[in-house]
Amino acid sequence: MSVPDIAVWLESTAVATLVRESAWGFPIVVAIHIVGITLSVGMIMWFDLRLLGVVLRESPVSRVYRGIIPWAATGFTLMFVSGGMLLAAYATAAHGNVYFRAKLVALALAGLNALVYHRLAERHRAAWDEHARPPLAARAAGLASITVWTVVILAGRMMSYTMF
Amino acid sequence: METALAWVEGTGMASAVRDSLGLTASLSAIHLVGVTLVGGGALVAGLRYGGLIFADQSLGAVARPAGRAILLGLTISVVTGVLLVSPRASAAAANRFFQLKMLCLLGAAACDVFVRRRGYAVPGRFATSTGLIRSVLYGAVLAAGCAFILLE
Repeated sequence: MSVPDIAVWLESTAVATLVRESAWGFPIVVAIHIVGITLSVGMIMWFDLRLLGVVLRESPVSRVYRGIIPWAATGFTLMFVSGGMLLAAYATAAHGNVYFRAKLVALALAGLNALVYHRLAERHRAAWDEHARPPLAARAAGLASITVWTVVILAGRMMSYTMF
Repeated sequence: METALAWVEGTGMASAVRDSLGLTASLSAIHLVGVTLVGGGALVAGLRYGGLIFADQSLGAVARPAGRAILLGLTISVVTGVLLVSPRASAAAANRFFQLKMLCLLGAAACDVFVRRRGYAVPGRFATSTGLIRSVLYGAVLAAGCAFILLE
């Protein structure tokens, strides 16, 4: 099954039809998506800024992480579920859209950045957890995270103007 | 008021936005980045005022950077928002969701001024309530903004 075939199949699902054809489906799902982005990226940005040593410098990095992660995770759940529903509804148009591809690449990079941070930089966190200015690897992860999430937001908004 | 709105719609800036889908899309994308900054700052500050997050940190240690994030986000979103609305200023001004958004924005900004002047130094019940109300109002700005662009 090719990617265009999967896109056609996705568009034929009940969820996709609901989003596309009901009067309130699309606006409600888009609104949830925007709220999810604001919640997730708006919160994760605080952890990134702590890694950069810009905010909450007196608080250990692990404590900042524990504080924001329940809220950010809720936002990510809202964002990915609503994003999946929107993608299903307009999968064919999204497949050919350059901003959708840019968004996917940025999302993959965000995931990769988080993975690298947790596997490498965080391994020795006990040594720098309370440092106001974390080591270069952690700061780089924070900066990369802010950058890729900004690209995700920019590309996502550009999609809505270029897909329809 | 109508004359002023008609004048805004006739400016070169409004024409440039009206005639360029790329410019409109770019402004809208940057607007959302600004909104995310405001939302994140308001949420973190609101949660701290409510004692739900970073309770080990002083109110000022959280509220000050949150205030800076909100100010930066507001600057970005107000500038891009004015440009986005300029080609349809009259229609936007007559839209109930837009009116609600502006009303909540003014209320939130007023709370912002208050917490900036007194809230950090005097974290009393009134300052805490004002901080919480500010966060709720910014949430309402987000909700009304969504309704405005999606149901217009």
